[in-house]
Amino acid sequence: MVKHIAKRILVTIPVLLGIVLLIFFMLQVVPGDPVTVMMKEHLKEDVVEGLRQSMHLDDPFFVRYYHYILDMLHGDLGTSWKLSRPVTGLIAGAFPYTLRLAVAAALFSWIMGIPVGIISAVKKNSLIDHLSMGVSLFGVSMPVFWVALILQNTFKNVLPVSGVKSWTGYILPTIVLGWSSAGRIARLTRSNLLEVLRNDYIRTARSKGLSPLKVITRHALKNALIPVITVMAIQISSLLSGAVITESVFAIPGVGSLAVSAINNRDMPLLQGTVIFTALLIIAGNLVADILYSVIDPRIRVD
Amino acid sequence: MSNILEIRNLVVSFASDGLKDRAVAVNGVDIDIPAGKTVSLVGESGCGKSVTSLSVMGLLADNGRVDSGEAIFGGKDLLKLPDKQLREIRGNRISMIFQEPMTSLNPVLTVGRQVDEALRLHSGLDKAAARKRTIEIFEKVGIPEPERRYGCYPHQLSGGLRQRVMIGMAMVLQPDLLIADEPTTALDVSIEAQILRLMRDLQKDSGMSILMITHNLGVVAEICDWVYVMYAGEVVEKADVFTLFRACAHPYTRGLMASLPRMTPKGQRLYNIMGTVPNLRAMPVGCRFSPRCEFATERCRSEKPPLTDLGDRHLCRCFDPRMGGDAT
Repeated sequence: MVKHIAKRILVTIPVLLGIVLLIFFMLQVVPGDPVTVMMKEHLKEDVVEGLRQSMHLDDPFFVRYYHYILDMLHGDLGTSWKLSRPVTGLIAGAFPYTLRLAVAAALFSWIMGIPVGIISAVKKNSLIDHLSMGVSLFGVSMPVFWVALILQNTFKNVLPVSGVKSWTGYILPTIVLGWSSAGRIARLTRSNLLEVLRNDYIRTARSKGLSPLKVITRHALKNALIPVITVMAIQISSLLSGAVITESVFAIPGVGSLAVSAINNRDMPLLQGTVIFTALLIIAGNLVADILYSVIDPRIRVD
Repeated sequence: MSNILEIRNLVVSFASDGLKDRAVAVNGVDIDIPAGKTVSLVGESGCGKSVTSLSVMGLLADNGRVDSGEAIFGGKDLLKLPDKQLREIRGNRISMIFQEPMTSLNPVLTVGRQVDEALRLHSGLDKAAARKRTIEIFEKVGIPEPERRYGCYPHQLSGGLRQRVMIGMAMVLQPDLLIADEPTTALDVSIEAQILRLMRDLQKDSGMSILMITHNLGVVAEICDWVYVMYAGEVVEKADVFTLFRACAHPYTRGLMASLPRMTPKGQRLYNIMGTVPNLRAMPVGCRFSPRCEFATERCRSEKPPLTDLGDRHLCRCFDPRMGGDAT
């Protein structure tokens, strides 16, 4: 088991290097000169040239990539051009907001999604099934920014719609971000459970005289939730990284807002930093999903 | 001799999507299972033999429904028993083993837990006692290293061992009746012989009755006392096993017997019954076997033959039984 996990972790190293290379390359081909962006147009030629050199902007691509990787390994993602502060520090400052929002949204989606999925499967084709699947589909299909605006408008007198000065500020963003995840989990739980309930071993369980409730909780759920749990693990990493729109709409100073401001300011190091950080989260999420899978499902377990 | 289970005039039908009328899968079946005996239900796929057993256990699929009939077990009609009371009998007084040991065990629970679950449910034993009893039953059904196997998952066991686990699960509460739905179909022949011997030995010890559902006449000859031959949802012949193999009377049974592969000279074709089973929604008016019967007359095609006693409790649903001399 330890060997299996160690192997999975080792595999992520080349993936990470590749991602950094890709991001680094993409931001090189984006037009715009950072020095003129920083200094506007009223600058002398030689000052611009000097700045370029001091920022290593004139170095060959692979030299800069090499330096960037080296710095990254020391926990240094460069300095923000706009804010003149270390990128690592900026991300560290913003991440708690993102983390709180993502965890809240994930919990919301599990607490809503799994029970709704189970009830829908058990009461298949009933009114409550159609209703909850409709709400789920709505959550999955609607664009986040639109849901956000509608909720802000609806609850503007009851709940804060901007900023997170207290925990109530998280309520609306959590629902906006968690709704589609909840919908996805509910639908997945329902379809898996329905499929599992058709299996022979469910009939065996019933033939033992177990009550319908116990057949579901003891025999069907564990099988049905295996794929759901892996989706949940991947989902939390995408919630951590995918909150860009939600954070902007609700003015939450998280990593997503940081990325948006970096884009607006052509702040390359900051943008690179946030994107790489996000990629790291997704890799970690997949790793956790992978490990969880082999822990829950005895058939995958590597002895 | 008293019967442990008496099924009377059982009618079971199924709904299917988009069709208004229900398909009648079992049409007026009567079966007696004497105490301590093994009764076999023989017939080809789709003849209603499994449906008969599942409806007795209350385990029909959602679209299935018992339309009429009764199944008297211990003075109670299982078909009319409230679900809660039926559950007390299920797995406890009547237990069941299924065809596919591969898919009939839950892949994510250890086999030990799956066995002692039934035990704890019905007997109220605590965890340690249930575990002890489960390991005993594993030993009894011939599972080597029962202590270690208790903690195994189904995929870690062979097909034969899994079927032994199923039998152990069914036997652990010493039921009065064991329903075995094609228990050896998915196993190879040597394992089949072992499993049948095991079931016979367990029966000798406990005195339970067995309802053996099979399409394999070899299995019937091996362990059964009474045989019911089913065709298209009806019993067409009932006889004790010796009578059946010596002098089966219904043309369908005779066809089944003649279809058994035997030491025929090389190159000679095996016998088969021509035609196919009739559609459940388009049953022949008269005898249900008449379209495939080589002896069918006008009367067979227009009038339904009753189940008549040929003497010695040998029943046959045919106007002109025992035709054409010796079956074999």
